[in-house]
Amino acid sequence: MAAFKAFWNSPVGPKTTHFWGPIANWGFVAAGLVDTQKPPEMISRNMTAAMCVYSGLFMRFAWMVQPRNYLLLVCHASNESVQLYQLSRWAKAQGFLEKKEPEGQH
Amino acid sequence: MAASKIQALWNHPAGPKTIHFWAPTFKWGISIANVADFSKPPEKISYPQQVAVTCTGLIWSRYSTVITPKNWNLFSVNVVMAGTGIYQLARKTRHDHFSEVQEVPAKE
Repeated sequence: MAAFKAFWNSPVGPKTTHFWGPIANWGFVAAGLVDTQKPPEMISRNMTAAMCVYSGLFMRFAWMVQPRNYLLLVCHASNESVQLYQLSRWAKAQGFLEKKEPEGQH
Repeated sequence: MAASKIQALWNHPAGPKTIHFWAPTFKWGISIANVADFSKPPEKISYPQQVAVTCTGLIWSRYSTVITPKNWNLFSVNVVMAGTGIYQLARKTRHDHFSEVQEVPAKE
């Protein structure tokens, strides 16, 4: 009970936007997970690549912002993973991750 | 003096020497990617992704005014991002529900 109260009244708790901003960002993770089940032709290379850079930068932002925001950090770490996975699915569907030919050039 | 104004920007707590500058600056990439995707056929738009883009943009517009340091760069990028998300959702909704009248029996 005391722990819940502490959370409820926290300066980064659910009464503040420091909580809901990161919650909104979990939407990217959820959307990404849903989209892993769709065919790779639907993946947007532009958006997925942008997400990978974006979440990388925002992990750092979450650490440095005042107040420090661990919820945001975990969210972006998760999004980074999902988006990198989606990017790899896209790349594979495009033929970028083919195994090297046995008669390799180098 | 112009030089001291530039110096003030350079040394700003949300300026180019900090992550408070680069993270939001890069976030423009999401809006740019979305604008590039305006020309994609609506069948390829992802509802979950665009809902996430829109909601995130709206909530973060608020967030960026209450963090320290206050971040107008972050504010503006999120406003635009929400706008691109809303446009993509409108495109896909219009395509899915308001254009194939011939094949689909009348919907209310």
